Order: sequence, then structure tokens, then C-alpha cells
Amino acid sequence: MYLQHLRTLLWLRWRLTRNQWRRGGQVNAILSLLVSILGLGLAVAGGVGGLLIGALALAKATPQATMFAWDGIVAVFLFVWLLGLVTEIQRSEVIDASRLMHLPVLLREVFFLNYAASHICLSLAIWVPTTLGLAFGLAVGRGAHQLWLVPLLLAFFFMVTAWTYCLRGWLAALMVNQRRRRAVIMGVTMFVVVLAQLPNLLMNVWRDDTRRVGAAVAHDSGKNAQVVRVCTLANRFAPPLWLPQGAQALQAGRVWPSLIATAGMGLLGLLGLARAYQLTRRFYQGDDRRKTAPPPVATPATKVVRGRLLVERTLPLVPEPAAAVACANLRSMLRAPEVKMALVANVVVFVILAGGIFLKHGAAVPPAGRPFIALAAACLTMLGLMQLLFNQFGFDRDGFRALVLLPAQRWHILLGKNISLLAISLPVFVVLLSLLTVSAHLGPAELLQACLGFCSVQLALGVLGNWLSILTPYRIAAGSLKPTKAKASSQVLMVVASMFMPLLLLPLFVPPLLGFLCNEFTKVPGTPITLLGAVVLLGCSCLLYGCTLKPLGRLLQRREQRILLAVTSEVE
Amino acid sequence: MTLAIETSGLTRRFGSVCAVEGLDLRVEAGKFYGFLGPNGAGKSTTIKMLTGLLAPTSGTMRLLDTDLGDPERARAIKQRIGVVPENLALFDNLTAREYLTFIGRMYLLPPDTVRARCQELLTMMDLAGEETKLTLEYSHGMKKKLALAAALLPDPDLLFLDEPFEGVDAVASRMLRDTLKSFVKRGATVFLTSHVLEIVEKLCTDVGIIAHGRLVQQVSMAEIHAAGTLEERFLAAVGDGQVEAQKLSWLED
Repeated sequence: MYLQHLRTLLWLRWRLTRNQWRRGGQVNAILSLLVSILGLGLAVAGGVGGLLIGALALAKATPQATMFAWDGIVAVFLFVWLLGLVTEIQRSEVIDASRLMHLPVLLREVFFLNYAASHICLSLAIWVPTTLGLAFGLAVGRGAHQLWLVPLLLAFFFMVTAWTYCLRGWLAALMVNQRRRRAVIMGVTMFVVVLAQLPNLLMNVWRDDTRRVGAAVAHDSGKNAQVVRVCTLANRFAPPLWLPQGAQALQAGRVWPSLIATAGMGLLGLLGLARAYQLTRRFYQGDDRRKTAPPPVATPATKVVRGRLLVERTLPLVPEPAAAVACANLRSMLRAPEVKMALVANVVVFVILAGGIFLKHGAAVPPAGRPFIALAAACLTMLGLMQLLFNQFGFDRDGFRALVLLPAQRWHILLGKNISLLAISLPVFVVLLSLLTVSAHLGPAELLQACLGFCSVQLALGVLGNWLSILTPYRIAAGSLKPTKAKASSQVLMVVASMFMPLLLLPLFVPPLLGFLCNEFTKVPGTPITLLGAVVLLGCSCLLYGCTLKPLGRLLQRREQRILLAVTSEVE
Repeated sequence: MTLAIETSGLTRRFGSVCAVEGLDLRVEAGKFYGFLGPNGAGKSTTIKMLTGLLAPTSGTMRLLDTDLGDPERARAIKQRIGVVPENLALFDNLTAREYLTFIGRMYLLPPDTVRARCQELLTMMDLAGEETKLTLEYSHGMKKKLALAAALLPDPDLLFLDEPFEGVDAVASRMLRDTLKSFVKRGATVFLTSHVLEIVEKLCTDVGIIAHGRLVQQVSMAEIHAAGTLEERFLAAVGDGQVEAQKLSWLED
């Protein structure tokens, strides 16, 4: 590699980052600096902590205990690493090679530079010093032979980063097709959402079972030994667990197994890197020497449009422009993977979190608690759709320009957007309410009250959503839920709104509370009071929505050029 | 004489940079007006201000005898104008037919009219065979054609086109030129920006030239042809002398 090329590429990256910071404003620059300082602080703390733990605690452990400790470290690192992957899943390379291919630069130069730069991330910045500190601590506590942990660790990180880079390259190649790109992003994000919920799943759903299993195992030492045997076997054959295996051997005073593990992981890392380079070459240069040309695909016959399109449908009592916006927005959202992600994540999180609790203990909910439980469906639905609700124009991107150019009344646009969101949230609410009905044995009165509550919260949060969408719009990258170019003020306002949203939902619980108080302290039956309260709340929400729609439409008209600037600008 | 576009002292600043300065534009109704200028001269900024995509820093604008100073009137006048903006205005997740249907409904056209016009426009733009494709899968040229179709759909009285021929194939370009000519022939006004002087020379009846944010020429095509060609006039207006000055030393040896 020419040194001048390397210097120039580093300079290019630096200028791009600097210009991006400049465009982001001072607050963003300060926030980025704070995050960097925090990362540095955590790295130093991790290194020192690792050193102390290694020297004082782990040095006295048995080889087997050491292996299990490293198993835990590897498991937590891989978990955090996979979570971090989701933000990097769209090939956000340090230098976009496609912009350099016409220049006298070799692809492998850019490839190696990008691979090296992929190491600059928070999880590695914390984990590498922590684990190295642990290795040095062990060397202090057990002897110099423990220093063989250092190459072992480096080989482990090399293997993980190389194969991660390979995975990213493979996904990027898959995502050349725009539709498939969005499906891939959605699939990977969903995988990570489920993965992130694993601790909850373990805590809420399986905890009791594992307690029982644990007790049984304690009584049966044979089974216990079997578990240890399985773990040992896994450490022998699963490459990421060769690190704990090598650490165990070093703890027992044997160096050779550690060296073999180092060599094995190093070789696997090289293999991953070679594969990643091959994929990169194929991606940027279309170089595919292995594959033969695919057979020609017959062009499908043009599909004839029959019947009415969704975008042609009218809605009773809704003005024509509002209905047009509602139908077009709904059509668009139903195809947008980011919306599907939000919906599926909502249901998944509910099933894992709430489902675990209610399916186990739902029958034990006292009748007085059921009206409160029923409202959980409405609350969870709205919490899950918060990003769609509070940033309604961010998903339009260039499409928002069409809305600005249209002669429609701006309150029609808001109404249309809200209706389309209702069409999205309603099925989610129905699914969640059905799950709750089964698990918590809800009666017809509670169902009716939940429906009224859902309508109220939809209207009230619709007002807040319209207001925030107008005041703090930010662009959402196509096919993801990732905000781009969000101003610091927008981010702060969104965080504040998210934090206080549960408080905004509190009025929803006033009618069941009144019903409960009536039941407990008066002779008046609580259910009619609860229902009456829910109706009154719905009336108030309708009034609030009706009174604010036109003023918010005028606000939208006044601010539409600013919104346009926020939601259409790309970042480099 | 009815004016379709009239601006007075129209100015737009971006921080310390003045993109458009004191623009006094007068475009008669029924004219085919070409708005020319070198890169960064302020053409797109002017169109954005005229169509409501960007607020001016100062100055007044009137479109089709309506003052755009009043936000409500500015919104209502959009019923009579069609726009192809610089960066287009498409929804990623709609098909061409869905997008055109949406636009037609927003202009309050009867459903049958929307259907019929959609079909004609899609056929004309050679997009009828792409029914299942979403606009995000379109090439730049296809997106441009769809944006043009959307601008033509409501049959506006005034059409703003920002680089309409860029990225459009020769067949569609020819068809588009014919369509725009007949559009003007029946009394509508077209305001277009283009870098291709030949196209402007063939199509436009009037030309305005902007340089460094200022309108430096506003003449009819007949006047231009009486004294030479559009290219000569353009180069004279935006700095013919620079062409001589901008020679590369290593190519001169």
C-alpha cells in the first residue's frame, strides 16, 4: 500500500467526520466528545478492574472455575457485540469503496483500512482493555506463563471481528436489491430484538422452571457432572470458547493447549478475513470467479390491475384529501419494513415480557385488578408505536416534499396521517387485548372499557404526536428505525417525551380507579362508574383532538419548510 | 398582459451566502419560459421559493395573480400549479399508479378522471409495464418520468420543471417536449430550468438568465435569434471572458 494513499484516506475520513460534526452543531459535537470521554473512562476503569480481579480473585480459582469465568466473559461480550451489530448492519464503512474505485487505489488497500477502522467501537474499546487487564492480573497472581493469554485474547478478537466483517459484507451483497435490503435489515433487527429480550425471557418465563431444575440437579450429582461434561465439550469444539479452554489450560500450568487455541482462532480469523475480502471484491467489482453465469430469468408478465387499489378507497365522513393521505400513507406503511419492525417488535416484546408474567400469573389477578390490566393493551400498543406517532413525517423522506406541494388543507394531512396510524395500531391492540383476555380472564365490561381507553389514548396521543412531529421532525433512514441527522434539541425533546409518556397515560387509569374506590368504599357498583368514566375520558379526548386539529394544521403550514429541510436532507 | 409569475426584490440568504438577490421576474401567462444559469447561480432556489418549498428572506411573489405573502392563498394557488422539484417528491413505498392516484385525489379530481389520466400518463412515460415495482426500485430516469407524470396529472395552469430532461431517455424526452408544447399552446405556462441550451432554444419563447443570484437577462427568444444564438447570449451574460481565462497550463504546451 502506498503510504500516501493511506495518509490521504485517513485525511479524507477525518475531514468527513469533522464536516459532519460541524454540520451537526456545537451541541452534537459536545455530546460526541462526552461519549468519547466516557468510552475512554470505561476502558481505563475496565483495564484497572480487570487487573485487580485477575490478580486478587481469579488467580486463586481452580482451572475449571477459571474456564467457567471466561465462558461468562465470552458470552457477555458476544451478546453485547451482537447488539452493537444492529446499528452497523447497513454497511456503514469508514470509506465508501465505491467512490474510490475509479481512482488509482487498490481495493485491498481500502478493504484493510475499513477492516481496521471497524475495530473502533465502544464494545471493543471497553472489552479489550478489560480482558487484557485480566490477563495481566493473572500473570501477576499466577506467574508469567499467564501472559500467553494475551495472544490468545488477540486471536479471539481477531476471529470475532473478521467473521463479523465477513457477515456484514455478505449482508451488504444481499442488500444490493432494494426490497431484499429492507427485508434483510428487518430480519436482522428482529433477531437482535429477540436476542436482547433473552435475559427477560430467562428471568420471567423460565426462572421458576430453572429453579426447579436446579433443585433437582442439586439432588442428583450425576446430572451435575453431565452438565459440566457438556460445557467442557462445548469449550473444546465451539471456536469462540477456545479462549476459556486455553485459559483453563494456562491456569493448570499447561501452555501448549493455549498455543493451539491461539493458532486455531488466528487461522479461523484469517479465513474469515479472506472470505470478507472475496465478498468485498464481488460486491464492488462484480468479480465472481467461482460461479458460473446464472440461467436467464424469464421476465414475469405484466400484472393487470383489477379492482380498486387501496389508495383509491374513500372513507365515510372523512374529507377526500384526508382520506387520500390516510390510504396512501397506510399503503406506504404496510410496505415499509421499519413499520413492520415496530409492529412485530411490539408484539414480541409484549409476548416475552408481559406474556411471561400474565400467562403464569394471569389467573391470579383479582377481579378488581382486571380493569387496570385490560388497559395495558392500549398502553403497550401506543408505547410500541411511539416512534411512528411522534415523528410522522420522518418516514416520508422525499415524499414529504409532495405533501408540501399539494394544495390540501394541512389539517387534512394531519387527520389522514392519524387515521393511517389508527389502522396500524388497531390490529396490534386487538392482538394484545386478545392475549390479555385469555391470560387474565377479562370480562365484557373490561373489554369495552379497554376499547374506550384505546380510542381515548389514540386521540390524546395523536394530538401530542402531531405537535411533536411538527416541532421536532427528523429523518429516518429507509428500511430502518435509525434516525439520521436528528438535531440535539430534537433528540432531547424525544427523550423527554418518551420518559414522560407513561405519565401521560395515567389519566387512562382514572376511570378504573374510580370504579375500584366505589366498589371498596361505597355501595355504588364500580363497573358502571368505570365505563362512565371511560366514556367521559373519550369525550374529553375527542374535544381536545377536535379543538387542536386545525391550529396544528396551521402550525404545520407555518413550519413545513423547516420540516422539509429536516426530513429530506441526507447525511454523508 | 396577464402575468403568470411576478417577483419583486426576491432574495434568499443562507447564512452569509446570498443565493438569490433582488430577483425581479416577470413571466407572461401562456409563455414557455426557460430559466438558465450556470451551476450554483440560484435557479433551483428560485423554483423552490416560487413553489413554496423554501421561504424567501425578503421580497414578494405573485403566481397567477395571487400574492404568495398570505399562507392560505399560497396554499390554495397550488391547486393550479404542477411542480417537478430538483430532488423529486416521491414516496418510496408506493407504485407509480398508486402515487399518481394519490396525487390525483389530493387535487380533488373525480376518480374516473384520475384512473384514465393515470393510465395515459403511465403509457406515455413507458411506466405501464412496471406495475409491481415500488418507486424506490426505479432508476433515476424512471423517477423523473413519474414526477413529470404527477406534475401533468392535474392539468395545471402553471408548470414548474427543474431540469426535467436530465436522465430521461431520448424517446420520452421527445414525447415530453411535444406534450409541453401542446400544453403551452392551449394557454398554460411552463417555467423550466435546464442546462441543455439546445432544448431551451427549441422549446422556449422567453428566456431569463441568472448569474450569482441576480437576473442578468430577461428577453424573448425572437430577440435572441435576431442577434445570434442562445449560447452566445448565455456566455456573454454569465462570463464569456472566463472561458479564455480558464485554460489548463499543461494542455497549452
